[in-house]
Amino acid sequence: MVLTDHLSETVAETPINGKATINSIEVKDVTVSFKSKKGVYTAIKDINLSIKKGEIVSLIGHSGCGKSTLMNTISGMVTPTTGEVIANDNLVKGPGPDRGIVFQNYSLLPWLSVYKNIYEAVDSVLHSKTGEEKKQIVTDALAMVNLTPHKDKLPGQLSGGMKQRVAIARAFAISPKILLLDEPFGALDALTKGSMHIELLKLWNLDHRNKTIVMVTHDIEEAIFLSDRVVVMNNGPAATIKEIVDVPLPRPRNKKDIVHDPMYMEIHDRLLSLLFDKFSINDIH
Amino acid sequence: MGRRFKKDKMKKILTLDTLYTILSFFASLVILGLIWEVVAIVTDRQIPGPASTWVVFKELIAEPFYDRGPNDKGIGNQLVSSIYRVFLGFGIGTLIAVPMGLMMGSSKAMMRLFNPIVQILRPVSPLAWFPLGLLAFQAAEGATVFIIAITSLWPTLINTSFGVATIPADHKNVGKAFGFSVWKYITKIMLPFALPHIITGLRLSIGVAWLVIVAGEMLSGGVGIGFFVWDSWNGLSLEKILIAILIIGTVGLLLDKIFNAIQQGFAWENK
Repeated sequence: MVLTDHLSETVAETPINGKATINSIEVKDVTVSFKSKKGVYTAIKDINLSIKKGEIVSLIGHSGCGKSTLMNTISGMVTPTTGEVIANDNLVKGPGPDRGIVFQNYSLLPWLSVYKNIYEAVDSVLHSKTGEEKKQIVTDALAMVNLTPHKDKLPGQLSGGMKQRVAIARAFAISPKILLLDEPFGALDALTKGSMHIELLKLWNLDHRNKTIVMVTHDIEEAIFLSDRVVVMNNGPAATIKEIVDVPLPRPRNKKDIVHDPMYMEIHDRLLSLLFDKFSINDIH
Repeated sequence: MGRRFKKDKMKKILTLDTLYTILSFFASLVILGLIWEVVAIVTDRQIPGPASTWVVFKELIAEPFYDRGPNDKGIGNQLVSSIYRVFLGFGIGTLIAVPMGLMMGSSKAMMRLFNPIVQILRPVSPLAWFPLGLLAFQAAEGATVFIIAITSLWPTLINTSFGVATIPADHKNVGKAFGFSVWKYITKIMLPFALPHIITGLRLSIGVAWLVIVAGEMLSGGVGIGFFVWDSWNGLSLEKILIAILIIGTVGLLLDKIFNAIQQGFAWENK
């Protein structure tokens, strides 16, 4: 099994170069409140976050801390109550094809084949392209995630990992500048998860690390392995950003070697202490 | 290898199961015949038993499509014209029910606006609609089709709107995230999801339509299985009435089986 995203040699551009100053996403003073029967519930409060082009950022926190809500304000699925989100220099007013979304539960249409699931998204977003071009894009996307032999299957006939690969291929196929992943590997077993991390980085590399990726997760190892920065959130309601932890580990990262890196261990410890206050039974009073 | 074995075993169980089903069906017919015979004995043969009905049935079936004037047609002719009317009325009802159901299911405002109308009109008996139909169409034929349409469209309408209203957020999000056009949303998300519900509605509707046809034709006269029942009553042939009842029941069963098969064919969950 390949454990590194070894295609890095082909990469010409890195986020540290000239484009580093260009922000891909800017979240400005965003507060999101929902009206419920019990009154107004504030999910996230006064969030400020800038994400550079080509950066991979993880949002991490406990269940219900509003990390998905924050990401949904970027995708446009949720409108901020106050504040604003700028994505690709445009004010976010709703979902748009410049931001590809991979949902936690895959969100494939169960009555369409794998091929058709990707094709309908491509057809909808890239409507100016010819039929042949669209078909080529779908074929390429399927090949990218090694699903060509399964293209005529319905989602119900696929394993969880395969479904998620279809969802990722669909998001990549519309070539968005920003990729938003909502707990993308949360429902997968640990082994599948590990290989999916490598696949995701491979796709990111193939695209010359141009795509900005924002990912919601509750897996510390996953966050460190994939991200340039990890945004740790406080517990809700009215959740805020607790701390942003930089992950300056060099790429390509090797899943096996990285865990022995002193820097990795330091970051891992930092994240653990940010997220937990009890580390053994001795800490329970 | 293991899969092959499983398949063979499945096949065996299936045939055994089918055999039981067929046997049970015939047993069920025997029970019906026995009850019928008991009723005939109890009523002192005022209601004819299966044996004497069978004699009349053989006469009817010998020449099902004869035509001797407007009031004397073969049982086959009667049945065909009834089925034609049912499908015409059911078809018109469906053309109204499906778009209305899609609209009501996809918009809360539409649901609030039209649901009271649906709830008021739905329980109205077909017989109550008949005079209105006569007035509107100035003909018994039109009135019959009208009452079939207006009483059979409700199950389809309600099921369609329910199907559309219960589209999961996951599916809707796909449409939002990838900017589906309204047309794409309807054809790729709304209709495929609602289709099994729509077909369930159609199955219930065709049942109602077939239920209504007898009452409609009794009122309208002319030709049809309902008229045949009424004509047999006037001719004091109880055997013919019993035959008509059995035919009506059998055709109703067949219609239901056909729609059940369609339902199975369209259920993407099973694939």
